[in-house]
Amino acid sequence: MKTVKINENVSLHYISMTKLKTTSVAVYIHRPLCEEEASYNALLPLVLKSATELCPNREAVAKYLENLYGASMGGTTIKCGEDHVIYFDAETISDCYAPEGEPLVEELLNLLMSVLFAPKLEDGAFDSKIVEQEKINAQDRIDAFVNDKRQYASVRCQQETARGTSFSINRLGDKERIKDITAQSLYEHYRSIITSSVIDIYVCGNTDINAAAAAVAEYTDKLVFKKAEIPKTEIIFRPSEEINNVTEKMEVAQGKLAMGFLTNTRPVDDDYYALMVFNSVFGAGAHSKLFNNVREKLSLCYYASSQLERFKGIITVNAGIEFKNFQKAHDEILVQLDEIRKGNITEQEFGASISSIVNVFNSYYDDQRALATNSLMNRVAETGKTLDEIIECVKKVTVSDVVNVSKKLQLDTVYFLKGRGE
Amino acid sequence: MELTFRKSEITGETIYSGVHSSGLDVYIVPKPEYSGTYAIFGTRYGSVDSDFVVPGETETTHVPDGIAHYLEHKMFDQPDGSNVFDKFSKYGGNANAFTSFNITAYLFSSTSNFEENLATLLDYVQSPYYTDETVEKEQGIIGQEIRMYDDSPGWKLFFNFINCLYNEHPIKKEIAGTVESISHITADYLYKCYNTFYNLSNMSLVIVGNVDVDSAVKVICDGIKNNEPFNEPIKRVYPQEPKTIAKPYAERSMAVAAPMFMLGWKDNDVNKTGSELLKKNIEITILMRMLFGKSSAIYKKLYDMNLINSTFSQDYTMQPDYGFTSLDGESRDPHKVFEIILDELEKTELDEEAFERAKKVTWGSYIRSHNDIEGYAGTFIQLLFMGIDYFDYYDVYKTVTFEDIKARFKEHFKKESAALSVVKPV
Repeated sequence: MKTVKINENVSLHYISMTKLKTTSVAVYIHRPLCEEEASYNALLPLVLKSATELCPNREAVAKYLENLYGASMGGTTIKCGEDHVIYFDAETISDCYAPEGEPLVEELLNLLMSVLFAPKLEDGAFDSKIVEQEKINAQDRIDAFVNDKRQYASVRCQQETARGTSFSINRLGDKERIKDITAQSLYEHYRSIITSSVIDIYVCGNTDINAAAAAVAEYTDKLVFKKAEIPKTEIIFRPSEEINNVTEKMEVAQGKLAMGFLTNTRPVDDDYYALMVFNSVFGAGAHSKLFNNVREKLSLCYYASSQLERFKGIITVNAGIEFKNFQKAHDEILVQLDEIRKGNITEQEFGASISSIVNVFNSYYDDQRALATNSLMNRVAETGKTLDEIIECVKKVTVSDVVNVSKKLQLDTVYFLKGRGE
Repeated sequence: MELTFRKSEITGETIYSGVHSSGLDVYIVPKPEYSGTYAIFGTRYGSVDSDFVVPGETETTHVPDGIAHYLEHKMFDQPDGSNVFDKFSKYGGNANAFTSFNITAYLFSSTSNFEENLATLLDYVQSPYYTDETVEKEQGIIGQEIRMYDDSPGWKLFFNFINCLYNEHPIKKEIAGTVESISHITADYLYKCYNTFYNLSNMSLVIVGNVDVDSAVKVICDGIKNNEPFNEPIKRVYPQEPKTIAKPYAERSMAVAAPMFMLGWKDNDVNKTGSELLKKNIEITILMRMLFGKSSAIYKKLYDMNLINSTFSQDYTMQPDYGFTSLDGESRDPHKVFEIILDELEKTELDEEAFERAKKVTWGSYIRSHNDIEGYAGTFIQLLFMGIDYFDYYDVYKTVTFEDIKARFKEHFKKESAALSVVKPV
């Protein structure tokens, strides 16, 4: 990976990858996750991608992208811990596959820079019609959170586990706050952040990095930047207290059990890679203890799995079960954790966990988005490690490392989504 | 096994293909610069195949609904009691399987030990082992899988939509069956289905990624067990489906935030395969983008009226014997969306410039589809089972004209073939 510093805030990272037939561009604007800003940050990318000086309305943007053989461009927000990232993702087929020899990458980059730095304005603010439409869109996205029950239960449990920290703030913002945003206030927010945030631009594929840097600089040179930092996140440390039990009711046929554990391990800690392997042994895949016991042995569910949220130090276990099997599933999940703590990890479970993680990481080398995202995550987490170095760290983990890190796990929240009549 | 080699000048891709004496079709697309390799071993057998005539027999066999999917789950049990996943994970392979209306497929991806993983794939899919006890054990797991779908609004929306369009066709039925139907599944039924549909002459193997062709072929030839290819096709018994739709509307209440809709048209220009079917697919894909894409007049009108939001999307589903287009999303007023779309279509004059743009997008997505080895292999095998050679896509693509699009527009978007499905909040 090559990095060109465009200015003190904006960096262009280039990953050459000619084996794929596309070139992708991702933009990450780093903002602190807080109530005051979250709704503005969530709405902003929706408005910016709808109209620019280059393409003054949605239809013009759509036609522009279609003429680039269906290039894609999307905008949303993600959470890297308490770094609320405004994220744009664009992709086109690489120039060498353009039937008429069109400079597709340059044209896509041009559009994206226009989206970021040259929005369409009317009377010193964003286009109010677009802002009003996108406010509805943004509120709809918040509402739709409830539609996917598996996802819903998992995120609710994560929020509950992170209670009292900024991490529990919804990345999509708050409906009431969005309602109060105007074309003027959103534009003011935009003005205040665009030159005072760290902005990472990743280009991955087949292009000339110097030409790409020049295309970016053409827009940024007109602005004055104020030096910024990437927001930092500390993991949750909470003295052992009573389990936070949360039950919600909804019109559902299947119960969703989610359990939130604090890992007490930071992404920069030496035992972080042991935690990764622990998570795999515990519940990340068909080789895991949860899959083989909660599902295969006891036939309690179709899925039972665990996910690691590295920035706040949370592991969430999720299972879809019959309402009446709540206690059985809950207890069995804890039994499996205990098995690991006692060192009852088979050679098969351990070996499969390592090779499964290594396999996933190696497959990133075939995937532009995964490579860029991985690089960004490690930049935010300040691990200072490349993908190859991470793979090496994972391979060095031993069974006793896994046992030790498992003992740091602390059950914090038990969340259950059940039926109305239950 | 003799292999045929082809190279595409446009994409730079190469492909090897051949038929093994067992009847198995093999396709290999080497991508030496990739880290990963993906293999998919599939059979022309899905949830729609509950009535069939075993080659050599005369009577129709009827089996419980959901059995193709159940069989897929049970392939993971091995005669020696071992677990297939354990074998794959030993070699770093990530294994999975799926069942759709028309296909059951077993697959893995790996970034090391490809040959060992391939040998494992070939071995377990050719090693059926079912006892009433192991079959029984799966009832709980699949029961929870069915429950999970019961809570999925998108899934219910889709099935209600299909049930509007179709009167008799078995795609009306849930792929996993029902808790009731799967309770009738026995080891005997599973063997009967296996011995019919898992004959290698009904199956194909597609490999894409970092693969040495010669060693892969050796693993394949060594890994194929005795198989007597069928001399005649498996006769699948489908009821006669009329051209009319079953009903124009369906709705259901679920725990969702806003009403969700799926609307679309039944494709009555069916019973095509191969290039003819691919051409229809390209025509309809282009048309859907021209009419409902983000640059279209209909999209703009609906978006400006706040009747659709960013979830609005379009799709076309096809098989030789059925097909349908669909539009789905969230709306405050799905009926209004349906009404406006049907009205606007009556007035629509197709624009040649929009056609050129949509055709470009279609080409872009073909080029892009080569990136992802899993996606490419998946598309490849699905089209293969419809008699389509995805490698030769360009040969068909280049023949599609604006005149074809105009004719297809008249043929497909008929008011009487349209239906609307809605899931509304409780």
